[in-house]
Amino acid sequence: MGEALFRQKNGLVAVNIAAACGVFTPGQFQGLAEAVREAGAGALKLTSRQTVVLILEEDKIAGLAEKISGLGLRIAPYGNAIRSVKACSGGPGLCPRALADALGLGIELQNRYMGQDVPKDFKIAVAGCIRGCTDPHCADFGLIACGKDAYRVLIGGRGGSPSPERGKVILEQVRSSRVPEVLDFVLARYRELAEPGERLCKTVGRVGLKEFIPPFIAEEPAGSLQDDEFGEFLRSGE
Amino acid sequence: MRSLKNLNEVNLEAIYKHFEKLCSGCDKLNTPECRESSCLIGFGKRALRFSISKGVLDIAGAKKMIPTGDFKVYYLEVIAPGLAETCRQCRQCQDNHSPDCVIALARTCLEYTVLQSEIDYPGSVFQYLAKVRDQAPELSALIAAELKKSS
Repeated sequence: MGEALFRQKNGLVAVNIAAACGVFTPGQFQGLAEAVREAGAGALKLTSRQTVVLILEEDKIAGLAEKISGLGLRIAPYGNAIRSVKACSGGPGLCPRALADALGLGIELQNRYMGQDVPKDFKIAVAGCIRGCTDPHCADFGLIACGKDAYRVLIGGRGGSPSPERGKVILEQVRSSRVPEVLDFVLARYRELAEPGERLCKTVGRVGLKEFIPPFIAEEPAGSLQDDEFGEFLRSGE
Repeated sequence: MRSLKNLNEVNLEAIYKHFEKLCSGCDKLNTPECRESSCLIGFGKRALRFSISKGVLDIAGAKKMIPTGDFKVYYLEVIAPGLAETCRQCRQCQDNHSPDCVIALARTCLEYTVLQSEIDYPGSVFQYLAKVRDQAPELSALIAAELKKSS
């Protein structure tokens, strides 16, 4: 696994720092600001992956990494690794459009999977509703909440590319507690079937989507996980 | 369920009034045969009431519960105003359109009363009217005339 360190044209190095799907505590923010100031960087930039990036001299990187580690932050992975997870602010008491706790699930997935080796970069995005503010259709593994604790699962998306790909749905109505099982299956198949350096969308295109559909989830009856509150309301009084 | 950003964002009561009007003209109203869950208009009313009371726009899984086996006959002229109202209230979500959105549920219920099959809603009113015209030109004209009244 590589780290997200990028040499700039001016000789400095851009360092990408990951938090919990972009969530910082005040203490982390404050500590990060101090560490960045000490490292001699003048600014931080937010990235589209919900990380922050700063530019500094190469010999300051090690000191910065040590300090942010004490804050519960880390330099984001890069290369053939599972990247930091993008998750929207869908959660209890947060976005009014959210159907499920997308942020909580995203943080859980990041803690569990970020940095794992894979054949090519692997991006995960979790969205709390069909609007998909975190671009789940453009992720290698996208989740879209479609009900109370029920997610649509897409794989093989690719954004940030001259040849973007839209992810394809492999499962509907998956509970958050079962998402890791699905992701484990997809990752295992990807590692098994991909050619070296092959992005998931290419592998899916070559071997077919069916290879990535976990049979243990697909066998569940459709709709079994739906919230039946409306059904009960519909039948009430008759 | 997708919560409403603001309960004033859409006027579900305006759609509900059309359903109530249709209901009031039904021979089965206030008889033992009146069962909302198996009636297209009754189902629409229930979905709208549920949505209003819960403050949610999407009712997950409700599309599958629409009683498509209800074959009561309605005139185009009495259905078109309700369809026009769903067009007025539609947020035109484009790619984010959900068939479980309560506005879509109401529209689908009304479509089943007069069309052979529902219209695959494209997420925009303009494209929707074009699709209705392909299947039922007379209904499309009636909806357009209703919409002109409010423009």
